[in-house]
Amino acid sequence: MGRIRLLIRLVIRDLRRRPGQSAMLFLVIAATTTTLTVGLALGGVTASPWDHTRAVTAGPDVTVTTNGGYPAAFLAGLPNAPGVRAAAGPYLLVTTSLRARGQRVDVDTEARDVRPAAIDQPAVTAGSWIRPGGVVIERGLADALGVTPGDRITLKGRPFQVAGIAVTAARATYPNNAPGLVWITTADSLQLLDADTTVAYVLNLRLASPDAAPAFAAAHTTDTFFATPWQDIRDEDAVLVLAERVVLVVGSWLLGLLALASLAVLVGARLADQARRIGLLKAVGATSRFIAVLLLAEYLIVALAAAVVGLVAGRLAAPLLTNPGAGLVGAPDAPLITASTVAIVIGVAVAITCGATLVPALRGARTSTLRALAHAATPPRRHPRVNALSAKLPASLLLGMRLAARRPRRAVLSVASLLITVAMIVVALTIQHTLSTANPQLGNSAYLAHNAFADKINQVATVLTVGLVLLAAANALFVTWATIVDSRRPAALARAFGATPRQVSAGLSAAQLIPALPAALLGIPAGLGLFNVVITIAGGSGTSVVTPPTWSLASVLVGTLVAVMALTLLPARIGANRPVAEVLRTE
Amino acid sequence: MQDVLLALLAKEPSHGYELRARLQAALGPLGEPMNGGQVYVTLGRLERAGLITVEQATGQADRSDRKVYLLTPAGQQRVAAWLAETEWPRPAPVEFHLKLVAAAWAGLADPVGLIAVQRRELLRLVGDAQRAAMAEPAGSVAGLLLEGAVLRLQADLNWLDQCERHWSTRRGQGS
Amino acid sequence: MTQSPMVRARGLRLDYGAGASLVRAVDEVDLEVAAGETVAVVGPSGCGKSSLLHLLGGLERPSAGEVWLAGQRIDRLRETAMARLRNHAIGFVFQAFELIDELTAVENVELPALLGGVASRTARRRAVELLERLGLAQRAGHLSAQLSGGQRQRVAIARALIGDPQVLLADEPTGNLDSTATVEVLRVFDELRAAGQTVIVVSHDSRITATADRLVCMRDGAFVDETRLTGGGHRPNLGAMAGWEA
Repeated sequence: MGRIRLLIRLVIRDLRRRPGQSAMLFLVIAATTTTLTVGLALGGVTASPWDHTRAVTAGPDVTVTTNGGYPAAFLAGLPNAPGVRAAAGPYLLVTTSLRARGQRVDVDTEARDVRPAAIDQPAVTAGSWIRPGGVVIERGLADALGVTPGDRITLKGRPFQVAGIAVTAARATYPNNAPGLVWITTADSLQLLDADTTVAYVLNLRLASPDAAPAFAAAHTTDTFFATPWQDIRDEDAVLVLAERVVLVVGSWLLGLLALASLAVLVGARLADQARRIGLLKAVGATSRFIAVLLLAEYLIVALAAAVVGLVAGRLAAPLLTNPGAGLVGAPDAPLITASTVAIVIGVAVAITCGATLVPALRGARTSTLRALAHAATPPRRHPRVNALSAKLPASLLLGMRLAARRPRRAVLSVASLLITVAMIVVALTIQHTLSTANPQLGNSAYLAHNAFADKINQVATVLTVGLVLLAAANALFVTWATIVDSRRPAALARAFGATPRQVSAGLSAAQLIPALPAALLGIPAGLGLFNVVITIAGGSGTSVVTPPTWSLASVLVGTLVAVMALTLLPARIGANRPVAEVLRTE
Repeated sequence: MQDVLLALLAKEPSHGYELRARLQAALGPLGEPMNGGQVYVTLGRLERAGLITVEQATGQADRSDRKVYLLTPAGQQRVAAWLAETEWPRPAPVEFHLKLVAAAWAGLADPVGLIAVQRRELLRLVGDAQRAAMAEPAGSVAGLLLEGAVLRLQADLNWLDQCERHWSTRRGQGS
Repeated sequence: MTQSPMVRARGLRLDYGAGASLVRAVDEVDLEVAAGETVAVVGPSGCGKSSLLHLLGGLERPSAGEVWLAGQRIDRLRETAMARLRNHAIGFVFQAFELIDELTAVENVELPALLGGVASRTARRRAVELLERLGLAQRAGHLSAQLSGGQRQRVAIARALIGDPQVLLADEPTGNLDSTATVEVLRVFDELRAAGQTVIVVSHDSRITATADRLVCMRDGAFVDETRLTGGGHRPNLGAMAGWEA
């Protein structure tokens, strides 16, 4: 229909008319969606692989592990206990030390048959199943060690080769459950035995009713061995996902908020620009509905395009951070991006855009035609108190304060941007410190020196922080540029009345720094508080929060201010040095 | 009209009717009411003043419209002087101004009323001139003259607005 | 036979502000414009003539009074119905042209038609016809920045005409134009008069107002004077301007 063609034509032409603004809009959303995509891919929030693993590996309903020794009678009786439909094992479990890639860690080796078992046959995600001289390493442990099929390792000093990597549902993944698990042929495992080796046995059971597993496990646990229902194993694994998910969600909310703030300012500026056009369209007979759709369509088109670009960019960037072959169970080459990721990312982009544009667009559509036609760009606000206060300050600060007060929304954006970013940096730092210093497993030889779990969380946190920092930097540049353009005339006038270019450029920088200082100062306690919230949500309220040392917090503060200054000084210098007459003439 | 005719003869001698035709072309609609005979009357005056002479045409003699006129040296001097002149027809609308002053002083009429009437008339003139100007082909010399009329009338209308402001406040002050 | 007027206003009033700062922009104005008539509204700046035009064009709602267009009352219409009216029945020409910069001339002209749901091919055809009629056929594909002031205003007039409006409202159409461009626009208005278009024009420029059928003077929001410029057997007296005695 003609109206739709007209709408598309108007949208495209308008986007082309202000390429800088359109690009900025696009970049804000694209940065957000890229970061989100990478975070989601890293966090593995795509789908719960655990249930899939359990199905693929024919996971047991109850796993029974002995505590040393072989109470033959009891274990023999278990497969015939009421409620048990099938049993597999018992498998010999030998705890020994593994050396790979210069690292040393204690592992449990489980002796298995080359032929597949009926219950709990680990699914190989890389390489192949065990063979004489070839062992299979559980994926969590393999990730932590950084081994791939074909690598050479030693178990108890004896050389072996990594035949493959597999996942299982019979045991929580390393490092949730330590020591890590390695599958090995029965013959090879016997080589690892000697007088003082710790051995145990593990029996896998399938129940007639899987829901009855917790009751069964409780009934059959004694001090010689314990039975673990599959629900417990699932929950243990879930903790890891939960922690990542919490960090991801919190970081994403911060990212989304910052993107929303940036967009709101951009949209506000752009709509003010379009007021005349809206008035004209209404004067020739466009309904309010048409105008509202026109305004929203423009932004949504940009948002959708940016979301797609973000998904693609995230898809390309994510593998650089994740381990190769770390795909979903049973599908090693499965893409990192799934339908739910796409849905989440697009949904977030649309939500942020709507949040920033819905109210102003509706308001713009409702403006009286005449007012829109006569619309001059919003004049800067006047603040008599700010003027009075700043009169007492030295010239640069005076200029700075007044410039900042002229556009309160931009100042709010600067503050919000810095506050959120500093908070996120502090959260990331605190996570790092808490995980590394409060690690109770340090010293336990079952754990590697570095904690893969912590690494994962740190990675997610870092990605989100980097995204936020980039967004904040873009905001700072935008606000600086907009302030310079906006203040060209008063700055030139100030210079005409005796201010030096240095005072003016210092004033322009001060305009940015004055809101930056309180923002950064508030950001630190905000970040610490936020981290406490994160911990509580993750259920680890018992964990003692280790605040980063004061020097690192101080360096965050100083670093932020220096960064703001660097981002504003050069443009400010350039802006302040244009000849006065030229500026006054062109306005 | 005298100077114009002299100038038109400066290029080459011409018949009376030729001069009249050129004048009409230059004036366009504004020249229509012009009495054709006026040209010949003026030519006669110029001849008596010694600024032009008659070149005897072969054949029909003494018929005014068949005479060929040409410029004398005195006439040429007069043309040169006329071209160099920068005098402009009086810019000041003295007569109307005095009319208002007199009417106000002698209590004969309300100046504001007089202005309104005059404005109406000027507007009619503007309309007439503008319509005539638009009827002329583009680039026509007569059209240029009509534009000149319109612009001067506009200026006069602006002045009338000022007069109206002045005389209504004057009236309000009861002087 | 008295034909019912195309535009009728009764007791129109427009107030801004309240209490001590109340400004009466339009004060009890009655106006009737017959079909095919060109009416010019003149007056000093701030006299309310633009506000009157906005009221007649439905861009503003009156504080009191009624406005009738072709027998339909328009001052109490809802926003959507008003938009439709502005699309079909009223054509507005602004002093600042108000063209959309990033559309070409023909795209600007067909804009109201497309908004009104006309098929794009029909709209394009009508737009091209209008531009040809106004002498802008060569400029159809040019952006507004590439057009002169006079050409831009003519495009704006074409845009106002595409809906075949019952009345054309022009607010200082030559306000931003130089002398040559003014004449271009004057020709257009002349042609519109000949074609029987009802026009209400507000202007400072006596050239435009002098070619109207009727002249209405406003001061302080009210009509103070009315002059009939055509009809009544007026014969142009051009010779008087040249100083010849007739």
